[in-house]
Amino acid sequence: MLALVALTLLTWPRECARAAQTAPPSHAQLQLIAKPPSGEEKVLWVGVLFHLDPGWHIYWQNPGDSGTPPKIEWHLPAGYKAGPIQWPTPVRLGSGSVIDYGYENQVLLMTAILRTAPATSAGSSISADVKYVVCSEVCIPGKAHLSTSFGNTYSPAEANQWRALFEKTRSQLPKAAPKSWQASAKQDKDSFRLTVRGAPEINGASFLPHDPDEIENSAGRVFVGGDDRFSLTLKKSSQLVKAISTLRGLIVLGPGRAYEIAAPVTQ
Amino acid sequence: MKKWMASAIVAGFAVMIALTAARAARIGERAPDFTATDSNGKTQKLSDYAGKFVVLEWTNRGCPYTQKQYNSGNMQRLQKEWTAKGVVWLTVVSSAPGKQGYVTADEENAYVKQVTASPTAVILDPDGALGHLYDAKTTPHMFIINPQGILIYNGAIDDKPTTDVADINGAKNYVTLALDEAMAGKPVSVATSRPYGCSVKYPN
Repeated sequence: MLALVALTLLTWPRECARAAQTAPPSHAQLQLIAKPPSGEEKVLWVGVLFHLDPGWHIYWQNPGDSGTPPKIEWHLPAGYKAGPIQWPTPVRLGSGSVIDYGYENQVLLMTAILRTAPATSAGSSISADVKYVVCSEVCIPGKAHLSTSFGNTYSPAEANQWRALFEKTRSQLPKAAPKSWQASAKQDKDSFRLTVRGAPEINGASFLPHDPDEIENSAGRVFVGGDDRFSLTLKKSSQLVKAISTLRGLIVLGPGRAYEIAAPVTQ
Repeated sequence: MKKWMASAIVAGFAVMIALTAARAARIGERAPDFTATDSNGKTQKLSDYAGKFVVLEWTNRGCPYTQKQYNSGNMQRLQKEWTAKGVVWLTVVSSAPGKQGYVTADEENAYVKQVTASPTAVILDPDGALGHLYDAKTTPHMFIINPQGILIYNGAIDDKPTTDVADINGAKNYVTLALDEAMAGKPVSVATSRPYGCSVKYPN
């Protein structure tokens, strides 16, 4: 914990100074971390690590019924560009008629930094402006200017800790669906029935939509498992007015077992 | 991750309730009638406004997404502009007692004066009945009903889902867009959008 505080002070002196004086509790502490290089890895990874107070959360890329996802604006040396945020599988939050998708406790939002031009001596410092909303029962907007550099001089213990964190986060990212899976969706006026064939012995599953306003997040879902398939009946959102041709999202079978699917929709 | 397990277990049970419960009105359908009490103790009944456009605006003064609209004066401008054109603008507070944004009638009337808001009325909905009838999710969350009583818009205030006042300039305001189009006899080009904001603070 002491090491964390020390690093925090090093990385954002201004924010911390301000926080110490007047700001109310922010309920989220942010750090920008460059993954210490390991072996032959060609991609440079960075991540914004959110430490959230107990009971507080931030949002997935589809936040569900309320809230908004964090936004990261990168400032990189010439010749580099940032890839998209690699969103870990979120949890379902909220109760009653308002259900959200997000993260509690701690989450690392990883991003690959890609080289677009030959390396120059332009430096290795990178920074990020992060805007986010952190909520419990109430919501508080926050922003942070974070910086770090590649080849950051982490101690061996820190380097191991950060490497492990990136690896753990990577293991929580949704994966491509198994090759045998064939997803399709049938719809009627009020619901979608999402079926995945070629998926034996599945005992339960959830579906997290990539796009808002397709399914009613707070509605229950009927899971039916069969010998070689399973299906989920999902209530349509009352905000879905245009026909959609593909239902995209994650099938979640359990911790570390989330799979990307794109199910063509038929009548 | 326990949440996933729990939700999977209750899934079968929950759906029976969800699928049989009355669902919220969809675009193009008749908006459900309601009778509610405003902050001046008057009864507000949707069907009394037949022949007029009605805007429903869910609000919570403690919510940063709502504050974006009120601190900038944008919501007050919209209320003034559209009520001047004969639109009935009903602001709704569905925060439950003890929750963020709950107000008594006197507190709300003082607040309306303080921020120079000019809705037709503010409906106090502490039990969440009106909120649930329309399935209001967030603050703000906007609905528009046409003079024939049909729901023509359900969604966000605009297309910039942030808490930054700076994002109001340049945002496409969906309420203005829908009312402009509907009053010109055109179909509403954006009839739904994800209503971004804080969750409505319904009773537990």
